[in-house]
Amino acid sequence: MLLAFLLWSAAASAQSLLGGFMNGKGKGSVALSYTAESYDNVFLVPNDAEGVPVFNEVEVNSVSLFGTYGISDRLDIVGALPYISATGNASQGVLDELGFENERSGIQDLSVFVRYNPLSLDIGEHSLNFMLGGGLSTPLGAYEVDEGLQSILAIGNRATSLNGLAMAQFRTASGLFLTTQAGYSLRNGEVPNAVLGEIKAGYAGAHFYVDAWYAGQISTSGVNILGEGFTGFFPATDVSFSRAGITLFAPLGGGFGLSASASRYLDGRNVGESTGFSGAVTYSF
Amino acid sequence: MLINKLFTAAMAACLLIGFSSCEKDEMANPSIASIAVTNSDFSLLEGAAVQGGVAVTLSNPNPNDLSGSFAVFAPNNAAFGRLGFTTEADFGVLDPNFLTNALLYHVSDGDFTGSSIMEGMVSGSLLGSNRRFISRDGARYINGSRILATDVQAENGTVHVIDKLLLATGVDIVQSAIALANSQVFRTPELSFLVEAVVYAELVDALSASDGSASFTVFAPSDAAFRQLGQDLGVSLEQPEDIRKLPKETVTAVLLNHVIADGGQFTPEMSEGTVSPLGGNPLSIGAFNNGVLTVQGNGNSQTANMLIPDVQTTNGVVHLIDRVLLP
Repeated sequence: MLLAFLLWSAAASAQSLLGGFMNGKGKGSVALSYTAESYDNVFLVPNDAEGVPVFNEVEVNSVSLFGTYGISDRLDIVGALPYISATGNASQGVLDELGFENERSGIQDLSVFVRYNPLSLDIGEHSLNFMLGGGLSTPLGAYEVDEGLQSILAIGNRATSLNGLAMAQFRTASGLFLTTQAGYSLRNGEVPNAVLGEIKAGYAGAHFYVDAWYAGQISTSGVNILGEGFTGFFPATDVSFSRAGITLFAPLGGGFGLSASASRYLDGRNVGESTGFSGAVTYSF
Repeated sequence: MLINKLFTAAMAACLLIGFSSCEKDEMANPSIASIAVTNSDFSLLEGAAVQGGVAVTLSNPNPNDLSGSFAVFAPNNAAFGRLGFTTEADFGVLDPNFLTNALLYHVSDGDFTGSSIMEGMVSGSLLGSNRRFISRDGARYINGSRILATDVQAENGTVHVIDKLLLATGVDIVQSAIALANSQVFRTPELSFLVEAVVYAELVDALSASDGSASFTVFAPSDAAFRQLGQDLGVSLEQPEDIRKLPKETVTAVLLNHVIADGGQFTPEMSEGTVSPLGGNPLSIGAFNNGVLTVQGNGNSQTANMLIPDVQTTNGVVHLIDRVLLP
C-alpha cells in the first residue's frame, strides 16, 4: 500500500516519477490522482512578471493514472498518463482580438520507466539502497505547442524524452528515510535537455506516511521568453526551476489508501510561479 | 563495486546541492518587450504590443541596427488612459493595422539616449514618419508627448517613458480624415461629417499635400461635435450628407475657421491667446494644461476640448476636438 502511494506522490506533483521504495516481486499498485495548480506570476529573466501575459492567471487541473509492478524484487516498471486542462483568464475582448481561447486541454505524455536496485547494504539496523532508473516519455495526445502566445496554455512541450536517473536511499529501522536522485533528460526537437534532481526526507510507518521534498530541473540550453532568440515558440525556452512540497498518506484498509500533497515553485526561469494541491486514491496488490 | 556506488550517490548529492546554488549567466538587462511585460505601469503597452504583433520583435536584437538596438518611446498606462484605453480589451476598437503602425511610430533604430534629445531635432521612426523634439517650461516633448523618464536600459536598446501616445497617419490631412471615416483607424467611423464637409466645400485640394504646399494646424471636430452643432442650430445633422443641407459658403467659412497656416503645431508649441485661422475671426486658445489646450471660436459660447491631440500627418498636425468652432 505504501508503495502505491509513493508511486503516486512522484508523478502527481511533477517530482521524479520514481520514488526510492521498490515494489517487491509480483506486487504493484495503481493510483488515480487529481491536481489543481494555479499561478498569476511568471518567473522570467531577469525580472518576474506580475500577471501572466495575455491570460492574467492560469489554472492547471489534471487527472493522472499511474501504475507500477514489481517484475522481480530488484526490478520495477512504472507508467503514468495525465489528462491536463489549462485555463486562462483573458477577457473576451482580448480573446476576440487575438483569436485565442481561454482553455487548452487533452491527454498529455505517456511515461514508462523502469527502476533497478542492484545493491542494498545493511548498516546495522538501517539500510542503504542504490537504484538506477530509466524511461521514456512521449506525447500521446494531439495537443498543440506552436500557437504563438496561445501556447502559454499549452499542456506540454511535445518532446519525446529519454531519461536516466541514479538514486540512493537511506532507511532507518524506525521508518525515517532520505532519498536523493539525480538524472539527465534527453529531449528531441527544439526542447532543451535538462539535468534533474530531487531530495526527499520522510517517515514511512505502518499507519501513515509523510515526506517533504525539494526538486529541480536545469535546462542545459534554451532561450528566455521575451529574450534574445525568442520566436514565440515556447518549447524552445530554458525551463529551469526548483520546487518543494509535502505529502501525507494514510491507508484505508483493503488495499486502498488516500493521500494529499501540496507543492510550490520556489524559483525558476520561464515558468509559472505555481502552487498546487493534489489528492489521490491508491490501490495496492 | 561498493566504492563505485558510493561515488554515484555522492555525485547525485552534489548535483542536488547544485540546484540551490546554481546561477546561470544572467542578462544584465531585460529586453524591451520584457520591460513592458514586467513593469506594471506598462501593462497596456504590453497588451498593445501583443495585439499589434511587435512583442517578439522587441524581444530580440534589431537586425537593422549595427548595435542591435531599438529606441522606444513607451507610453505608460496613463498615456493610454487619456484616449480611453484602460484595459487590454479596449484595443478592440482599433483597426489592427493601425494599432501596429501606431506602435511602430514609437520605435526607431539604434540607441537614442536622453542626452541626445535636443529642441528642434527630428527623429525618424520605424513607421517612416518623423517625430520632432520640443522644449517647453523645462520639460522635453516628442511631438505632443512629454518625456517623463529617459534611458531605461534594455538588452536590445533604450526605453524612454512618455505621457501620451504618439500618433501619425503617414498620409496628408485629407487622407487622414478619410482613413478615420473609412474605419481604418477606429472600427467605427469617425470624422465622417468632416470629410463630407471638406468635399462639399471643395477644400480637398487646399488641404491635400503637394509639392511646396503649406502645412497646417487643423482642429478636427468629431462626428458627435457636428451632431451637437445640428442640435444647436436646429438643423438635423444625423448623417454626414446632411451637411449639404447647409449653404456651401457657410460650410466653407466654418471649415476654414478650423485651419491655421502655421506649419502645423503640436500642443507644447501652442500658447494661450489668439490665433488667426484661414477664414473667420481669431480663435481663442486656452492655457496649456496637462498636454492639452482648449480652443474657442468667436461664435462659440463654450470652449472645445481636445479628444485626440497631436496627430502627425504629412502636411500638418491634427487635433480632434469635441465642438465645431464657429466664426
